[in-house]
Amino acid sequence: MKKECIAMLLAGGQGSRLYALTSHIAKPAVPFGGKYRIIDFPLSNCVNSGIDTVGVLTQYRPMELNSYVGNGQPWDLDRLDGGVHILPPYVSSGEKGTWYKGTANAIYQNMGFIELYDPDYVLILSGDHIYKMNYADMLAHHKKEEAACTISVLEVTMEEATRFGIMNVDENDTIYEFEEKPAHPKSNLASMGIYIFTWSKLREYLMADEADEGSSNDFGKNIIPAMLAAGEKMTAYRFHGYWKDVGTIDSLWDANMDLLAPNGSVNLHDTDWPIYARPAGVPPQFMGESARVTHSLVTGGSSISGTVENSVLFHSVTVEEGATVRYSILMPGAVVKAGATVEYAILAEHAAVEEGARVGAPPGGDNWGIAVVAAGVTVGPGRTVPPKAMLTEDLKKEEK
Amino acid sequence: MNDLHGILFAYRSNPHLRELTQPRNTCSVPFGGRYRLIDFMLSNMVNAGITDIGLIVHESYQSLLDHVGSGKDWDLSRKHGGLRILPPFSFAEQNGEYRGALEALSSVSSYLQNIRQEYVILAGGDVIVNLPVSDVFQHHLDSGADITAVCTSRSTGSDPRETIYCTVGANGLITDAAVHPNQPEGCECLQIYIMSKSLLMSLVEHCASHGVTSFSRGVLQGMAHTLRISPYLFQGYAARTHSVRQYFEKSMDLLDPAVRADLFDPRLPIRTKDQSNPSTYYGPDAAAVDSLVADGCIIEGEVDHSILFRGVRVAKGAKVSHCVLMQGSYVGENSTLSYVIGDKNVRVRSNRTLMGHSTYPLAIPKNTEI
Repeated sequence: MKKECIAMLLAGGQGSRLYALTSHIAKPAVPFGGKYRIIDFPLSNCVNSGIDTVGVLTQYRPMELNSYVGNGQPWDLDRLDGGVHILPPYVSSGEKGTWYKGTANAIYQNMGFIELYDPDYVLILSGDHIYKMNYADMLAHHKKEEAACTISVLEVTMEEATRFGIMNVDENDTIYEFEEKPAHPKSNLASMGIYIFTWSKLREYLMADEADEGSSNDFGKNIIPAMLAAGEKMTAYRFHGYWKDVGTIDSLWDANMDLLAPNGSVNLHDTDWPIYARPAGVPPQFMGESARVTHSLVTGGSSISGTVENSVLFHSVTVEEGATVRYSILMPGAVVKAGATVEYAILAEHAAVEEGARVGAPPGGDNWGIAVVAAGVTVGPGRTVPPKAMLTEDLKKEEK
Repeated sequence: MNDLHGILFAYRSNPHLRELTQPRNTCSVPFGGRYRLIDFMLSNMVNAGITDIGLIVHESYQSLLDHVGSGKDWDLSRKHGGLRILPPFSFAEQNGEYRGALEALSSVSSYLQNIRQEYVILAGGDVIVNLPVSDVFQHHLDSGADITAVCTSRSTGSDPRETIYCTVGANGLITDAAVHPNQPEGCECLQIYIMSKSLLMSLVEHCASHGVTSFSRGVLQGMAHTLRISPYLFQGYAARTHSVRQYFEKSMDLLDPAVRADLFDPRLPIRTKDQSNPSTYYGPDAAAVDSLVADGCIIEGEVDHSILFRGVRVAKGAKVSHCVLMQGSYVGENSTLSYVIGDKNVRVRSNRTLMGHSTYPLAIPKNTEI
């Protein structure tokens, strides 16, 4: 059946700047904010905006993401007509299959899926941002401007502008130039990586781009510049609100900490724009006799008997009596045993910090950073993981 | 395991639960921070691979229907089978609630005829237990008994006058039952039974034509010598709540790690309706100890020895101890609550003091503002 607008979510990125956290899962499947995974934000935004057809383009380590998305039931995207669909690269008959060469090529390879719904517009999303946004408002802007492409932008400081793709616009917010990470930005409108295209136009440019052998088949590098050069109507849609790219260890840690500040992040208690997640099905959290938990988020299935400050704890975490956790993110199933200290650190799923061990340290020194313990990795009793370290193999108890 | 069909009885509203059953059926009484009583037996059945479950309801079942919905939170929203809600459909001549399980079953006899499995498990929807139903079924098949009755040697602590006790004879079979005696005698029966569909059908027919409405009186007592009724002795935690005080005590049992380990075995999860709550936030001055806290709460005051359901807010300076606060309730700044059961959406404004006692916890009805 025809749909006015469908969404295509680019979820194939390797997320290599998250290092150990994405060694076994795709970036959009990385846990976030106590209860969620990154992909919950764009998926919930879609369903809250009335978009009921979403293609999720996967490529890199897709198993966990596939089983997480499943049939889309947690997001109300289990539909007879539309719904959420995982789209891996595939082989057409008589041809040689290829991996997605770039973001634009990923969409090109799935034109057949898009055309099943004969949409007027296609919304392109990525799976590495934390924000709440009504795409219906953005689509209304796109239609009002009669644009070929609308790019959602965020006003950043001029200093930050050097780190983003910057849109230079006229007095009507029509884009006349796009600059990737300019040294001397002319505007402070940063692209959020969210695009709406009039499908007939995008289709044309995807075909042309695919035919160009020198192209890297990327939206930012190829499609947007080509459309600008051809004089297509491109408009900026200004977004006001919280938006954070969580593509690096530091930004992922920051974005989790933002949830602790009053009004510092997206409002997760707002029932008018809920963020849905696949439920873990765990009992309530238990606070032991000696628990001291302040300024922190704690999730079901956890058992806390130690001290927890300024931290985000996911489900089924254990913090034993005499253990201390500060300014840290403990992903599902992480364990901190008695007498251990975890500060300014990220413990991935089922990581364990044994008795008396130390992970991370408060800011200071030349080579300081967030310490990371990868999924399933154990820090043996009494061992130390220094700041900024990325522990990907067990640290065994030292022999005496 | 597709050979077992589940029937859950959810037709009673226990009047001794007073405020807690005013707006709802006993089976939909909230329990344990995020559950309703029905979740336990419903999950036990699903965990044993049961795909078809009939839920027999009679009165004030709106809250129960709202909770179970299509059954999708238990993976029971199925094209074929799944969860079926069974209101009375051949019971027009009677007023008041069903007088017993057999009367309830006979009023849904056309549903029973269409059961596609060979065996049926019958259970009350208000038992708080994590029962390995697969083991009970295996016991039933191995023992060759006509009926298996789940019993416990460990008292559930419920009032004997609300309880059924079984006497086990030398041959290991149940020889007699005491229904609602003054004193406990023998082992306590959890009123969970497995039998073949054909036996169930004939029992229902026989009892309907003889005016027998109660399963325990008609079958456990009346047929103990004609049928082979085998006890399955369950050793884990099991509880029922027949009064407000018992509800409070059973809630507080959950603060015991051994009880939680029994009830919340990760291999046999208790499922419930998902509400998409965020994690619970503990403020800079929060102090929560010895408590079970569900997701979606905002805790800025002190909480001790309490059970907090989803979305509860405890404001700064508030002190909550020995309380059960249900979904969405709110305790204002500097208010003090002890031995209080606050039903859903109870709002206690600032600077209030509410005290109950361990022998008489103060139950505040749903939506009350104080």
